[in-house]
This record gives sequence, structure tokens and C-alpha cells, in this order.
Amino acid sequence: MSTQAPLRSHLHWKTAGVLVPGLLLMAAPALADRLERHFKVEAHPVVTVHNPTGTVIVRAWTKSEVMVVAKRATDRVEVDTEQNGNRVEIMTRQIPDNASPNDLRADFEISVPEDTELQIHDDSGGVDVSNVLGDMNVETIAADVALEDAAGYLTVKTVDGAFKCLRCAGRIEASSISGNFGFIDLRSFHVRAQTSEGNILFNGEFLPNGTYQLKNYSGVIEVRFSPGDSFDLSATSLKGKVNNEAKLTPSSHRHFLPRFGNALFGTMNTGRAKVELSSFDGTINILKRD
Amino acid sequence: MATMDCNEFWNQLERWMEGERTTDAHVHLRGCSSCRGLVEDLDSLREAARSTELADVDPPERVWLSLRSQLEHEKLIRPERADWAETFANWFGGIFSAVPRPTLAGAYLVALVAVSIALAGHGYRRFNGAEVPTQPLTAQLDAAEQSAVSAMMNADPVVTSSLQKNLTIVDNYIALCEKSVQEEPESEIARDYLYDAYQQKANLLAQIAERGDSR
Repeated sequence: MSTQAPLRSHLHWKTAGVLVPGLLLMAAPALADRLERHFKVEAHPVVTVHNPTGTVIVRAWTKSEVMVVAKRATDRVEVDTEQNGNRVEIMTRQIPDNASPNDLRADFEISVPEDTELQIHDDSGGVDVSNVLGDMNVETIAADVALEDAAGYLTVKTVDGAFKCLRCAGRIEASSISGNFGFIDLRSFHVRAQTSEGNILFNGEFLPNGTYQLKNYSGVIEVRFSPGDSFDLSATSLKGKVNNEAKLTPSSHRHFLPRFGNALFGTMNTGRAKVELSSFDGTINILKRD
Repeated sequence: MATMDCNEFWNQLERWMEGERTTDAHVHLRGCSSCRGLVEDLDSLREAARSTELADVDPPERVWLSLRSQLEHEKLIRPERADWAETFANWFGGIFSAVPRPTLAGAYLVALVAVSIALAGHGYRRFNGAEVPTQPLTAQLDAAEQSAVSAMMNADPVVTSSLQKNLTIVDNYIALCEKSVQEEPESEIARDYLYDAYQQKANLLAQIAERGDSR
């Protein structure tokens, strides 16, 4: 008898131990859960991600494998993954029609081989990619995009998401309406960036034979140069200002001279790269690098 | 043998697209790569419009390029080109009305806005003083825009707000650029910015329509 009370108490705890996880399991659909998938791939795999709401973080690793870790906000969003040859497709899918946008959030952490080609669509949330050297196509609406140590042919398109490219190489094409662009410590031979209302900061190397076209409607375009940089410069702001700290010599190339707006043409050193800056009514600053 | 020039061909473009093809028009088309490219683009648009099973159709990039090259070629818009503009408006209006799907509407907005650039050229009235009947096309554009935006209402509020905010930004730029072009009609740069602004709006509307359609 004397053991009954402790035993009953023990049973209560055991019951609670079963019930609590059970209740948690029942409640699980309303909570975030984790999904992990692994895909063996060969060289140059292609990974596509379609995630309307949530973050997409991609990191390169040395394994010949793609690992997808997804965290769903609720069970109202389904994460589909599929491998087709050397292509891995990841997609979030809404289950009921009346789900609120917050219910549809899914966050991804994806590990890929460094030569992976990436195609990412993410409307809101954020995209963050590091050390991936394959071609990349990223499209967002409001999500910011951050690429670090990327290479290949990089195409980024946002509506008002900011785009930051740190130590990127290869070829970069970026467009936005109100997103800001930041190109830091770049080693790219081709940069073409256009944003309407955003600012553009370029602080990188002007590689020989490289072309750098930066354009906006308003806002500031700021280009930083070192004394040893060699480029042929064209800077035009139709309604705004052009401020220049570079010692330019008149260009040997013939330029179309606009009859309207503020323009500056010239060559720094031997003019090995081509730099074209244009704005509608924004300010263009060509400044010495600190 | 005298054959028709581009203006004459454009004046009967609608009839050509409807299958009424004169020998002179055939001869002109054989010798004119610009008009041939335009007709090919219009044919591909019409084919796309017929393929209602297609979920997502983008008009050919060459539509933009050919229209732009025509605009660049025609620095001064001549009064007789009003017929061409009206023809274009009617023709595109025709295929647009046959394509009610929001996605297709979004895709066709790209083409419609491209045409509106052409019509904007006719709006430089200080050159020609000609009034161009742009109202039907403008009304279609407005209606399609409203339809696309309203289809977005149930989408993610962050995304909806972003798209609407940026649509306003682009509209403001279009207005600024149009003003600039009207003030300085010889400014190639202003025209380039106007063209870019229209293209941005078209792309944005296509994105809005695409998201509305996927709900």
C-alpha cells in the first residue's frame, strides 16, 4: 500500500509524459517543423528554389551532395523537393486557399557543391548565398539579396529588395525599381546594374577590358577609384549633378555628347576598362577610395 | 518596278494581318527586313494568343527591339503615321480582348505598353500637331492594370504593398520622363529613360499579373 501513492504518482507522470508529446504532436501543425533532404549530385548540378515567403540561405560545401533543410511556419505550406538527374528542385506550395501569408512562410538552409548553378525565386524574406561559383539567377520582389564570394554569370532582379554583392567575380547583371545596390570589393569584368530609385555604390576593381554600366533615375551613383585604376569614363546625369575627383584626360574615343544634362567624359590612366554612369535626375559621385 | 514603302505597308498592316495581302505588300516585305521582322513578331504574338493552354507567355524580345528601332529611326513622327498607330492599337486591342487570362493579360501588357511607347511618339505634338486616337488603347491598359492589381489583393501584404509602391514610382518616372521628352524632344537620353520606364512598368505589371494568377 505504501508503494501505491508513489506508483500512482509515477503513473501520472508517465501518463503526462505520453500525453504531453501527444498534445504537442496534435498541436504540431500550428508550429514550425523541420524537414531535411539529401540528394547526391554530379559536377555542375542545378538547384532551383521557388519560395514565395521566407529566407533562402545557400552555402557551398565540399560534398557532392545537396542538403536541404526547410523550416515551415505551419503545415499550411508544403515543401516539395524533387531530383531529376543533376537538377534538384525545391518548391513551397500552399495547401489551403485561405492561409494567411504568415502561414506560408518557409525558411531554407541549403548546402550545395560550389560549382552549383542556382535559380532562386523568393518574393519576400531574403536570399543569402555564399561561396557558390556557378551561374546564378535570383528574382525577388521585396526580399533583399546578398551574394558573397560568388562567381559565374550572376543575374539579380528585384522590385524593391536591396542587392549586395561582396567579393563577387564573373559577370553581374542587376535590375531593380527601388532597391539599393552595393558592389563591394568586386572582381568582376562585366557589371550592368540599373535601379530606378535606389542608390548604387561601386567599390571594386576596374579590370582591364571590363565594362561597368551603372544607371538609375534618381538617388546616388557612387564609384570609388584608386590612383592606379585605368578606365575610360562616361558619366551623365540629365537633371542632376556629376561630382568627380578623378584626374581625367580627354578621351581619345569619340563620344556622343549630349546636348542636355550634365556630362563628364575622360580617361584615367590608359583607359583599359569602360565605365558608363548615367542618371536621370540623380547625383553621380566619382570619388577616391579611402 | 515601284513598290510600296514602309509607311504604305504599315498603313495596310491590319489588312495584312487579316489575310488581305496585296502583291505590292508581298514585294515590299521580301525586300524589307524591318517590316518582315515586325510581321513575324506580330504573327508570333497572335499564335501565342491562340494558345490559351499556355500558362505563361512572354512576347518576343524582338517586339521591343523592333518597336524601339522604329522609334529611333523615326525621330520625327509624321502625321501620316497616325494611321499606323491606330492600326496597331486596333490590332493589339483585338488580340488582347481574346485573351482574358490574367497571366496572358500581364504578358500582353508588355506588348501593349510597347505600343504605347510608339503612341507616345505621336504625342510629341510640337513636331506634327497631330492628334492620335490613343484613348481606346489607354483604356485597355488602364483596365488591364486595374484587373491585375485587384487580382493581387489576397496575396502577401508585403509583396502587394511593394508592388503597388513601385508601380507608383514607375508611373511617376513615366510622367517625369514624358515631361522631359516634351520639353526637350531632341534629347535621346530622355527618350531612352522614357523607354526604360515603360519597360519597367510592363515588367512590373507582368509580375503583378503572374502573382495574381497563381493565387
